[in-house]
Amino acid sequence: MLILLWFLVDASWPFWHDFGISQLWASEWYPYESLYGLLPAIIGTAWAMLIAMFIAVPCGLAAAIVSSEILPITWQSWMRLGMEMLAGIPSVVYGLIGLWVLLPWLQNTFDLLTGHNLLAAGMILSLMILPTMMVMSQDALRLIPIEQREAAMNMGMNWSQRLLRVLLPQAWPGIRSGILLGLGRSLGETMAVMLVVGSLDRVPQPIYNILEPAQTLTSRIGREMGEAAFGSMHFSALMACGLVLAVAAICLSLLAQRKSKGFVL
Amino acid sequence: MKIFLCLLALPALLLPLACFFYIVVQAWPALNWQLIAGSETVGNLFGDVSSAGHGLWSQISGSLLMMALACLLAAPIALSIALFHALWATPSQKRMLITILQILQGIPPIVYGLCGLILLVHLLHWGISLAAGGVILGVVILPLLSSNAIHALERIPVEQTESAKALGLTSVAIIMRVWLPAAWPGMLTGLLLAMARALSETAPILFTATVFSGITWPDSIFSPVTSLQTHIFYLAQEGSNAHAVDMAWASATVLLVLVVFFSLSARFLRRYEESV
Repeated sequence: MLILLWFLVDASWPFWHDFGISQLWASEWYPYESLYGLLPAIIGTAWAMLIAMFIAVPCGLAAAIVSSEILPITWQSWMRLGMEMLAGIPSVVYGLIGLWVLLPWLQNTFDLLTGHNLLAAGMILSLMILPTMMVMSQDALRLIPIEQREAAMNMGMNWSQRLLRVLLPQAWPGIRSGILLGLGRSLGETMAVMLVVGSLDRVPQPIYNILEPAQTLTSRIGREMGEAAFGSMHFSALMACGLVLAVAAICLSLLAQRKSKGFVL
Repeated sequence: MKIFLCLLALPALLLPLACFFYIVVQAWPALNWQLIAGSETVGNLFGDVSSAGHGLWSQISGSLLMMALACLLAAPIALSIALFHALWATPSQKRMLITILQILQGIPPIVYGLCGLILLVHLLHWGISLAAGGVILGVVILPLLSSNAIHALERIPVEQTESAKALGLTSVAIIMRVWLPAAWPGMLTGLLLAMARALSETAPILFTATVFSGITWPDSIFSPVTSLQTHIFYLAQEGSNAHAVDMAWASATVLLVLVVFFSLSARFLRRYEESV
């Protein structure tokens, strides 16, 4: 792991050396004019992650609750199978679905010039992290000892009280690690996002405008790696994107471990 | 409350089915035997009508080759990591090992792709090659494989190991006679899952191992290959060409069938393991 980090730092060193860390906040990215601001891509990534979580967390959680608390047990295993299959669909296939199904739909609904935008990226990402969310929270719910449920029933709590006061707090560590895993996955997902996000290097105007084409860190790397010559400044700027991604991912997984360790019963 | 939850959950329940059906329906016109067996990939990248080609055999074989190479490289390493974890590691080492594995698993595959691009393609002069793709995919699946192997070994009851030790077996004998017979289904499950993962990773091999067309069977392991994943990607970028669209859906179906095959067999193996 250290070797990997060292490689990234080493390869992106010319970039940091020439431009300094302030490039992280610069908002212009024109490789041919030697302007390498990372801000548009970082904001794009953050938006895509936020949208994805906003859709996937409630849906995944609800699906987990429905499947483990309401549906009979035979349905449960079928749903699990479905979810595992959904998790197994390669990301590039999601990209296809996004490109040829979601984009025209968005284009018509919102009357846009092009469907390529952050909203589409977020929606595709949410579809991809839904299985993670659901499987993790389902496991967490299933691990709650049956005595807890029985005790709650004996106290005369009704169904929603039991859910909110007993089951969800108990399952929370598992649910949270599901959320963090999902965040990590949406951070690093490349192909699907690359196909739908539109690859326009600009900070959205205004900043909450998610219906504009934008760029994420991963899609930038994927899009421009083929063009950048080895050893050039462009190349090392892309390496810097990779470094930012890696550092963010490492922080997320450290966070996940710290938290889950604190809450193990 | 219940109704509200059910409404929220509805998309999560219906989407898997919808996705599968949609993909298969879209691909239906292009699916035939010719597709899988035919290997002619006519034309070039610059958008003539036939550039989408007709057969997918070279793509399929490229994907499978790369997957096999990745597994061949990663499996022994994962096995030795798991054995180290089980035999010699102290508790603090174990914790650190697990932490590192989880962090490695969290790093986006495209970052591995970048590192591979620098190290293998440029510094070692392998060029865009099957070997580079295989090695990178091997690194990508390594954390998954090793954590699965570790879990498989951990599920062996401590009593078995202890009685084997009490019988005076050497550690080699314990590994061969006690652990392997008990743990192989778990390890094989992990391997199958890793194979599915290696098949579905696209980003890391996009600029390290694959080209769009013109290759039917790689000459050596240092020549570029074509793969299903990247084929879909290139086709998707052609966009308007109806034939390309059909081919992309068809490739997606083939890839999906392969991936589902691996993960389903992993699932059955797991069930078998639980029943034994």
